[in-house]
Amino acid sequence: MSRKRALRRRIVVAILVVLSVALLTVYFREPSSGPVHRAEASAMHVVAPLQSGAARVIKPFRDGWDWFADLFSAQSQNSSLRTQVQQLRAQLAQQLVMQQQDGELKSMQRLRDSAVFPKGVRFAQARVIASSTTAWYSTVTIDAGTAQGVREDDAVVNGQGLVGRVSAVTAEASEVTLLTDQDSFIDAKVEPSGAQGLVAGSVTGDVTLQYVDRSEKVVAGQVVVTSGMKGSIFTPDIPIGQVSAVAQQDVELYQSISVTPYVDFHTLDLVMVAL
Amino acid sequence: MAQRVPAIEKPADGPHVVAEIGRLFALLVVATLLQTAVAANIRILGANPDFVLIFVVAVALLRGAEIGAAFGFVAGAIVSIALFEPPGVRSLALVAVGYLVGRYAETADLSPSVAPIVSVFVATLLAESLELLAQFLFGRQVPLLYLMGRWVIPLLVLDCLLAVPLYLVARWWLGGERHVRISET
Repeated sequence: MSRKRALRRRIVVAILVVLSVALLTVYFREPSSGPVHRAEASAMHVVAPLQSGAARVIKPFRDGWDWFADLFSAQSQNSSLRTQVQQLRAQLAQQLVMQQQDGELKSMQRLRDSAVFPKGVRFAQARVIASSTTAWYSTVTIDAGTAQGVREDDAVVNGQGLVGRVSAVTAEASEVTLLTDQDSFIDAKVEPSGAQGLVAGSVTGDVTLQYVDRSEKVVAGQVVVTSGMKGSIFTPDIPIGQVSAVAQQDVELYQSISVTPYVDFHTLDLVMVAL
Repeated sequence: MAQRVPAIEKPADGPHVVAEIGRLFALLVVATLLQTAVAANIRILGANPDFVLIFVVAVALLRGAEIGAAFGFVAGAIVSIALFEPPGVRSLALVAVGYLVGRYAETADLSPSVAPIVSVFVATLLAESLELLAQFLFGRQVPLLYLMGRWVIPLLVLDCLLAVPLYLVARWWLGGERHVRISET
């Protein structure tokens, strides 16, 4: 009897393991209109309103928690922020001099105005209702979908800069792959030097500018924006972040450039989708 | 001499089975909603609690390996699909968790206060290790030290804190432990 039971148990587990692997295989092999992807859309249709409701209910508690966390870290942040302010003042003065001297006022003006989207571009406002629950994916779910005109690969921004792109869309909600996701690669350029490269995310949340030639002059404090090259899904000059560190090694073809995104992804709430 | 003794017999009659399936289904719905709607909005110490894993552990402790593994598969598939994650990885991890915790429940003398915490601790480590392996096979970055310090350890703390209350909820809802325990006599 117990032998039979053990055999049945093993068969059940073996079937479940095979089903799991089959599910994974089907997901990666099927087109985006396949049954598993369609199931995702259907599930999102059900879950999105619940996520939206839960986000509203949880927000005051989350804000309270953040307030306490901020209180504890404020003291240590204070001294480092003072240092940063001094550095930024120095950088600002340096940049102003450079603008006057080198005649690069136009590019800085364009950045400052941040009217980077072509005329006629509409925006759909959305709220972040959920985020990925694993360390592997830097994605959020927003409460705008095809009903609001959102399409796959639309740019998502907030008041601080580029947030990411729409990677999946359903009628009432969309998944946004943040620029910190390790599968995110964005054509970018450094202003005012004009050096071009790819802004890439990582599993640690660090953002780097890759494939910038060693001959390009890039220094900390410079601004990174979307390049809008032909074939890119983003319009040019959407602010991404600021160069925080540059390293060059003799054996490397390209520079190693760290970028601090303008967007604070931990407190992401309201965003806009460029339609 | 070792002899296998069923500690508690499974109910065999129809109405009981239907009621049992209904209770498990309700628990599945609650676990899925908590994971997709609530956990996705809670980030404490840098990690989101894994409600589904804790409920899979609770079901495996209360109902044994077979039901634990099946519950893990279904819950993992639904949560992955709802959160736009590649389905299959979480299912595979939760099948392993359900099966192994179920076997632990069937073969060991459990202390009700310790078993959920120990099981959730080991299950979280196992599930994260399997996920890490899967991500490595997908060709994604796997910075081990970062993940341990910034994700796995906070997740272990959170999951262990939630283990006992959620286990008690599951035990109350499912009407106590009911699986065949194999003990040495």
